[in-house]
Parts: sequence; structure tokens; C-alpha cells
Amino acid sequence: MKIVIVGAGEVGSHLAKLLSREEQDIILVDKDADKLAAIDANYNLMTLRGSPTSFTALRDAGVENCDLFIAVTPYETSNVTACAMAKKFGAKKTVARIDNYEFMVEQNRDFFTSLGVDYLIYPEYLAAQEIMTALERTWVRHWFELHNGEIILVGVKLRDNARLIGMQLKDLSYTQQTFHVSAIKRNHETIIPRGDDRIRVNDILYFTVTKDHVDDLLEICGKTQYEIKKVLIMGGSRIAERLAALAEDKYKIKIIDNNLEVCKSLPERCPDSEIVYGDARDIDVLREEGIEDIDAFVALSESSEANILACLTAKEFGVNKTIAEVENIQFISEAEGLNIGTIINKKLLASSKIFQILLDADINSSKCLALADAEVAEMVVKPHSKITKGAVKDLNLSRDMTIAGLVRDGKGMLVRGNTVIQAGDHVVVFCLAGAIHKVEKLFN
Amino acid sequence: MFRVHSRVNFPMLLRVTGWLMMIEAAFMVFPLIATIIYQEVDFYAFLVSTIITGVVGASMTAFIEPSRMEMAKREGFLLTAMIWVVFSVFGMLPFILSETPFTISDAFFEAMSGFTTTGATILNSVEHLSHGLHLWRCLMQWIGGMGIILFTLAVIPMLNHSGGMQMFNAEVTGITHDKIRPRVSQTAKGLWLVYILLSVLLCVLLWVGPMNFFDSVCHALSTMSTGGFSTKDASVGAWNSAYVKIIMTIFMFLGGVNFGLLFKACTGSPSDLLHNDTFKMYLKIISLVFALFVITIVINGQVLSISSVTIDPLFQIVSTITSTGYTVTDFENWGTFVLAMVFVLMFFGACAGSTSGGAKIDRMLYLLKNLRNEIHKCIHPNAIMSVRINGKIMPSEIVSKVIAFLCLYVLLIMTGGIVLTAIGIPLVDAFFSAFSCISNTGLGAGVTGYGSSYEIIPDVGKWVLSLLMLIGRLELFTVLILFTRSFWRK
Repeated sequence: MKIVIVGAGEVGSHLAKLLSREEQDIILVDKDADKLAAIDANYNLMTLRGSPTSFTALRDAGVENCDLFIAVTPYETSNVTACAMAKKFGAKKTVARIDNYEFMVEQNRDFFTSLGVDYLIYPEYLAAQEIMTALERTWVRHWFELHNGEIILVGVKLRDNARLIGMQLKDLSYTQQTFHVSAIKRNHETIIPRGDDRIRVNDILYFTVTKDHVDDLLEICGKTQYEIKKVLIMGGSRIAERLAALAEDKYKIKIIDNNLEVCKSLPERCPDSEIVYGDARDIDVLREEGIEDIDAFVALSESSEANILACLTAKEFGVNKTIAEVENIQFISEAEGLNIGTIINKKLLASSKIFQILLDADINSSKCLALADAEVAEMVVKPHSKITKGAVKDLNLSRDMTIAGLVRDGKGMLVRGNTVIQAGDHVVVFCLAGAIHKVEKLFN
Repeated sequence: MFRVHSRVNFPMLLRVTGWLMMIEAAFMVFPLIATIIYQEVDFYAFLVSTIITGVVGASMTAFIEPSRMEMAKREGFLLTAMIWVVFSVFGMLPFILSETPFTISDAFFEAMSGFTTTGATILNSVEHLSHGLHLWRCLMQWIGGMGIILFTLAVIPMLNHSGGMQMFNAEVTGITHDKIRPRVSQTAKGLWLVYILLSVLLCVLLWVGPMNFFDSVCHALSTMSTGGFSTKDASVGAWNSAYVKIIMTIFMFLGGVNFGLLFKACTGSPSDLLHNDTFKMYLKIISLVFALFVITIVINGQVLSISSVTIDPLFQIVSTITSTGYTVTDFENWGTFVLAMVFVLMFFGACAGSTSGGAKIDRMLYLLKNLRNEIHKCIHPNAIMSVRINGKIMPSEIVSKVIAFLCLYVLLIMTGGIVLTAIGIPLVDAFFSAFSCISNTGLGAGVTGYGSSYEIIPDVGKWVLSLLMLIGRLELFTVLILFTRSFWRK
């Protein structure tokens, strides 16, 4: 598949790097030669210097026969213009990154469709949605819904009160039939567990479950669901605004920001939230704003480090759920090791979203989400592919992948050793980074 | 063991080397077939060489199980440099085992000269060689011309990732490595396709002329790769045919053009070629030098026939600028001015991304434009000047990299020349040989009147020159970086 990405900023280059490891033809366009040089020399893709809205640049990039055109420059107007141009040239699907909520509103969709923009990506909105999911399910680290929620992927960090601790996976499979342990994240490393792997304290377990059995996990993981009422947000960023817009009627929201201008302008967009001018890194300020009574603390300031530390402080005050925005991808793994509940990263969210669009655009090379060093793919089984040749346990699958679940005729189910996969099934596969090629071979 | 052990992924390197050696063994089958057809004694030399290369390669891939697959920058540089040496080491086997065995120094020199498309030879007479050896010499040049790594990238899908990218960068010539397609394997396939098509076309055209099939195959291989090995002592002069010279001039010229541009020209945008600054410069240099040559020849009274002011000088110019190194018969009589021009042509060579050697015209463009700016700035110190190539401003880092390259290049010629004088080679010849080898031209030492081939150079000198050829072919940095401490240190 030929994909043109315009804008080698954080989202653009992250996407380009991820996709270049797959069997995709990537052309990355940016005005800045310096940004491109490093990527061009180290990744298996082509770069092109040029303005996102230049006819010559777009033509040189071969936009007329590209399958997907992604505009992720920092400026939404250039993105929309670039998409409109690309569509006119003949790009099959176009995606523009925007930072204006108005654009997302349903009644304005037609306008963008008529312009030639097929999908709009609003990373701040995605982040706000992600935070909402985390607030609704306080016990969960990661929550992904696959195939319209038929199969759910849940990441849970296990404490010493979990029943699973010390058990081997093979013991589990005889007693429990409602979930599948697909991956374990242990000390910065993701492993695909086998029957003789033992579950330890502080592991993050990725369960695959069907939607009816999600609540079973609560009990075996020793978790309780907290009801969230009061939310304290540090940093009046655009994510905070979107979060307030989504959740103002559900929760009591308080936003602390240390920029007076921001504080003065916030009430206009977040009418029902309480705005406080102050520094959330100051413990006295936190006490004054009643940090002890808060149910959830969300750190959304510009500095990843400040967010991580503020969450740790909030944890010490007894806040049940903390959520930190961490924009440095390198920090994510570190932050997950600390006791911060959920980590939000706009780049990863935006790339995941675009992966899903890829899935829609090309049913054969289905991708969905990228965890730090593992991938979850939803594959459609083709007739006569290798995977259909017998029961899963007889196929000698390689150790760096596991088949978690499948959706057959719109109904989600888990995959056991003796399950036989049929053509047309949507299969959820977990694999370590780099193993996706092996997976694709199995399904084609 | 050295403490660097964990720094470089040696198991993976050796495994990839194993794959590549199997490819080399596959190439050796062609001369093997030739020896069968012509019923030559060298059949055994090739049989043994093919088996040794193939078996060593296969066992390296089969028995080395790397724990991690990834290859980073270090591995890219090391592997690329290593492969060229390994190919030469195994490529010299047929010479050592042949009917008239070469010494190890001679054989290695010949093989390295082949793969780096230098075309320098230690043979005073090539005509006694078997058909198998002739084909192998030309085939070595043909593989080396486009690049061993590039060929591998095109055929082994396993290298189609960022590790392959590093190798691509370490081997492909030029300042910036333009990709013609998004994926490195597609780029490699595209370039090789153009190369193969041109070679086949050239072979047919030569065969139609006065050459027999075997000679036309050999000359097609060594012309397209701008290598310069011939099957005749008198080189191209043996046919004394204007047709052969014209055809070969055209294809040597094409061999000196960036293959990426040729690919684009073939796939629909020929105008790119004509608007390319480097290509325009290439044409300009050839025309200018041609005019100078003709004037010199006329003044020196060397106009023996119509061809001595038309195709002969043109052939010589293109052969030199593309680093092919064929010579025409009367070349030595044209005077020292012509020889001086030859130095200039050899120094810069043709376009980057072609099969030619030298410092590349691209770098000359940078140098000239930068020089012009600097001179202008003497009077207008506040003027903002930039180096513009193909309408785009080049960052000053690249300009300084180019200048560093050129300084290093001159330094290496100096060092090489000085080392050669130390082992008793006359001054001019020492520098000329070093220069000829690092620029991969391979104009015989005979040009300066010292011996009739590189045979006369002592063994130590042959190894020094082999190293220079390798350094020149991989454009200095890839090889030289291996001699730095920071490359190996943790």
C-alpha cells in the first residue's frame, strides 16, 4: 500500500517509522530538510522536501496513485488544504489532523467530505475520550475495544492482593474459560506467555475477553471499581477543555493552571468547571483545593516530567486514580513502572487511530494498535491460509505471537488450543514488535 | 576476545555474509559454464572455487544462529566494508587455482580491482587467459559496478528493513542517497533493472558489430560497470572499429549517469535528467575537454585520420571521466597537456549514483558553488549566499561534509603515493598509481611510462593499492570509520 505522510512532526514521523517496518510504501513530505535527513538515513522509507500545499511537491510524491494520504502538519488549515489537493489528484483516502472541535461536529462533516477530506484526526479529542474511558473504569490500565466491542482487550496491573499471583497459566486455563492472558508486561519488556509462565506481582496483564465477561476480571485481579465524582485537572490545555466538555455533566471538575491568561479564558469554554489560578506542583495549593477529597487527578500540563511527578504526589495524598499525559515516548515505559494509573500519549493515540483507518482502507493488511513493544492486529482470515489448516495447538505457532480471540459471524469468542480457525473470521493476534510478518504469512 | 564484543552484532553479520557468499558462488557458475563450453583446464579451478565459496557461505548461514536480528549503523558500515573484502578473497580463488597460477598478492589485487571496477591489472598480456577467467574478471566488475550490497538488497527480502538501509547508505555513492522508490528493496530492484537492461542492450549492439559473442558479453559487462577489463591486450583498439568505439562511448557515458535519474527517465520523466545540475555539468565538462583535446591533438600534429579528432578523443574522455580506463592506441602521443586533463577528469569522475569512480561531479559542483560564494563574500561580507543544487538550497553541514570529503581524498592520494615511493616506485608513477586506484579508473601505470602493467609494483604496493581501491569505491568514510577508535569502543 502506498501511503503519503505530510508533516514530519512527532505524529508524522512516529507513524512513518511504525509503518515503514510493515510492508508499506511510505513517502514522508516536510518543508524542513533537517527533520527529514535523520529519518531518511535510518528508516526504510522515502522522504521528499517540499511544502505540504505545493502542487509540485504533491505531484513528486506521487499522490495521484496513493492509497492513503495523511496530513499531520501542526497547522490544520494546511492539512485540510493538502488533503483537498491530494483528493483532487487522485488519492484514495485522505486524513487530516485538526485542532478545532468545530470541525468534528457531525453537521459539518459533509463540508469536509465535499472538500475531499475523508477522516479527521483530533488528537486532543482522542486523548479526552481515552481519559473518559479510564475514569469510567478505574481499575483498568488499558482498554481497547475490537470489532465493535465484541472483543475487549484489558490491561491490568496486578498487586499482591490478586488471586492470580503465583499461578501458572496452564493452571488457569483449566479453571477459567472466560478470559485469555495474551501478553504480560514485566520490567519494561513485553512477553507472550506460555503455559509454564508464572504470574508475578507488578505484572501488567493483557487479557482478551468477550464483552460479557469483563467483570469477571475484577474479582480475579483483586480490583475494585471506584465511583469517580470529583476530578482535579492540572493544566488548562486543549485536552482539558475537551475533557471538560465531555464530562462536565458527569463529574465535578476543577482545573488548576499557572497561567493567568489561560485561566481567564477557560470559563468561556468550560462553563461548569471550577477554574483555579495556581501552581499544581505546589502542595499547599493542592491542599487548599482539597486534594484529599479528590477521586481522580489528571495531569495535562505541557511538561511530561511535571505530570508524572504531580501524579505521584497525588497518589501520596490518597487519590485513587491518577492519569498523566506523557508526550515523550521514552518516558512511557518508565512511567508505567511507577504507580501512575493511566498514561496518555497523543502521538500513540493518533497513530492508533490512523492504523484503524488503514484497516478500513485495506482489509488485507489489518493493523490496529501498537503498544510500546508489541502489536495487536485484527486479521481477516483468507481461504486456504495456513492458519486454517488445523487446531491452533497443532500449528506450531512461533513463540513471539499468540492468538487471543476471534469474531465469527459478528460474535466474539476466545481461541483455545483446539479451536479451528475458519476463513472469514476476524482474528485478534498479539505479537511482539517485528513479528508481524510471520503473522501475515499465516493469514494469507 | 576484545571487549567490544557486545557492541557489534557479529553473529548476524556473519550470517548475512554467508548469504552473500552463496550469491557469489552462484555468479561463479557462469565462468564455470564458460570453461565447460570451451573445454578448458580452468574448469577445475572454478569448480573448486564455487564449491568452497558456496559451502563456506551455506555453513555460515546454517550454523550461525544470531540471538538478535537487528543491525544498526555500525553493522551497516562494517558489513559493507567486510563484504567487499570477503568477495575479493573468494573471488581470487579461480586466479590462484588456474592453469597459470597467480601469487596471492596478484590474485587479490586483480579481484579487488575487478570488484571495485578499477580495471587495473597485473597482467602484461591477458590473451593467454582462459575464457572462464576472462568472463570472471568482467563479471566481477559487473557485480561491483552497481554494488554487491545493492544486488543483495534486491534479491534478499530479509534485508528490507532499516538494517538494509544502513548498508545501502554505506555502499551507494554520492552525497545524499536519493531513493527512487519508498522501500529500499524496490529502489535496489529498480536500479538493477536499468543496469541489466542497458547491459543486455550493449551486449547485443556489440555482437551485431565486429565482436564475437564471448567478447561482446565480456565488454558489455566491463563497459556498463565502467570497469575497463578487456579480453585483448590492445584493449578496444584490437577491433579498430569506429562502430565499437561509438557504441562503447555511449554506454560508458550512460554508466556515468546517476542510475536513479536514468530510472526516472525510463519511467516517464526524461525532463528530470535534462534539468539536473549534475548531468548538465557532466555534459559541459565532456564538451569542454573534448574541445581542448582536439586543439591539442591538432597543434601536436597527431591528426592521423578523421577519427583522431572525433571519436578517439571523445572515447578517451568518456572512458576516463567515467573511470572505465580503456585507452585508445595513440593516447600516449597526444602530449602532456592531455595527460594533465586526464588527471582532472580522473579526480572528479562522473555523476554520483552511477557506476563510475572518483570524487563525483556532484561534489565538484558543491565545491565550485561554495568557492564562488566565498570569493563574492570577500567584497560583500554581509551577502547571504547559499549553495543551490537543482533549485534547492543545500544545508551548510552538507557543504562542509563535501569539503571534508575532498580534503580527505587528496590526503589519501598523498599518503598512498608517499607509501609507494617508500617501496621504491618513482615519484610520478607512485602518485599516479595511487590516484588511479583510489579513483577506480585503473589507467595502467604504463601511461606514465613505468612498466606495462601493475605487475611491476612490489607485493606490499599491491596490497596498499587494493586498500585504496576499496576506500575509493566505498567513498572513504565507510572504510575509514572502521579504523577509528570510537567505532569499536563501548
